Amino acid sequence: MIMPRGQQLLLPANPLFIWGSLITALLATMLPLGPLPWLPDWLAITLVFWSVHQPRRVGIVAAFVFGLLVDVHQAALLGQHALAYSALTYFAITIHRRLLWFAPHHQAVQILPLFAATHLIIVLLRWIAGEQDPVLAWTAVFAPLLEALLWPVFSAVLLAPQRRAPDPDANRPL
Amino acid sequence: MPLGTLDRQPPPFFRQGASALSRLLVCSALAILLMVSDSRFALIEPVRAVIATLLYPLQWLVLQPVLAVRAFGEYTESRDTAQQREQAAQAQLLAQSVRAQQVEQLRLENAQLRRLLELRGQTPPPATAAQVLYEALDPFSRKLIIDKGQMQGIAAGSPVVDAQGVVGQVTRVYPLLSEVTLIVAPEHAIPVLNTRTGTRSVAFGSAASGATALELRFLATNADVQEGDLLTTSGVDGVYPPGVPVARVEAVERQADAAFARIRCKPVGAVGAVTHVLVLAPAGADQPPRPSPTADKPAAAPAPRKGGKP
Repeated sequence: MIMPRGQQLLLPANPLFIWGSLITALLATMLPLGPLPWLPDWLAITLVFWSVHQPRRVGIVAAFVFGLLVDVHQAALLGQHALAYSALTYFAITIHRRLLWFAPHHQAVQILPLFAATHLIIVLLRWIAGEQDPVLAWTAVFAPLLEALLWPVFSAVLLAPQRRAPDPDANRPL
Repeated sequence: MPLGTLDRQPPPFFRQGASALSRLLVCSALAILLMVSDSRFALIEPVRAVIATLLYPLQWLVLQPVLAVRAFGEYTESRDTAQQREQAAQAQLLAQSVRAQQVEQLRLENAQLRRLLELRGQTPPPATAAQVLYEALDPFSRKLIIDKGQMQGIAAGSPVVDAQGVVGQVTRVYPLLSEVTLIVAPEHAIPVLNTRTGTRSVAFGSAASGATALELRFLATNADVQEGDLLTTSGVDGVYPPGVPVARVEAVERQADAAFARIRCKPVGAVGAVTHVLVLAPAGADQPPRPSPTADKPAAAPAPRKGGKP
């Protein structure tokens, strides 16, 4: 496997941890805090993270299913988040090989357009579905920015179980 | 390096399943199908109900800490606040009891007059108390989720009121939960009666200001509406019982070049911050059948134009 110089070799990901983290993110999204347009979408960040790091385990179909759950919980048009999350994971999978060559804070810059596009898709879908005047709170701009800012944090936390204790010796420089 | 520290299954070269693009196409086609059938036809309500039932344990789990914090907040409320609240409740009770004493006589008089005019009697509709679980997080939809559903006999289209006035209407019923569309939602309209003048009109939810407000549309510039007028339900819709307070007129803008006045109203009920509501049965059951729509179309649809069917 070709890896950037100095990058740690990771342990295999535990499927239980992957799905556990996704369900935890879903629960966090479902916390009844009231409508806050600037609130980052925890589930979107987690979905992008796993589709970048484990594209063979978590992909578009999983994103679709989680999107449906969010739609039902938020009493939104059924399929709206499902479509947005499917597109989000698709673009995450297309850029995952390039993305992993960068440090997390550089990855955040490249991920930002994806998050912005996801929010845009949802607004557009509401508009097409015949919402009279969709409430465009200007604070909604902060949601993708916060999601991109949280990307390095999520990278550190979600990769933590896969990091091994470093014990390099003469034969094992890694 | 010990075994088990690397992925021991190499990625398959040939059997990789469908490509990401084809998966995206299938998923987005399915999503669009769902959206179209959700907004145009009522085909997938069962799907939604099944997903909601599957999601219920998770929602219950998430609500527990929130309810615990709320209960803790109520428990540690200071004695002064509690006493103030009790005094306010006493004052309100006193004010209401004066009016309540007149009610018996008025009811008798009303019954006699109605018999005289051969009008149908009015019975207060049966009601179910419910707790608000959460407000929908989606900033586009002004909806509440309450903890009573099909199992408790809630029907779609039922009016929802709180202690002060109308809050909204049940638009979707799940086995254990229901969705309430607030009267301030832009897709919601409610027929109202101006208690000062007796004129009927329709109040539309208004999301333009982003706040909780209603709007009286299509009233002529010289219509007799003043600030502070109380609007109650008119009962012509066969959904809301007549006489329940809805809103108070807050601002009337009359412009010379516009055919209609801009009338903004503030809901009487605590639409944004309500925790307990009363779900009434739709009042339509004891009303005479409507005339055929070809004869004369009613000016306004009483129910939300999307979703709920009274």
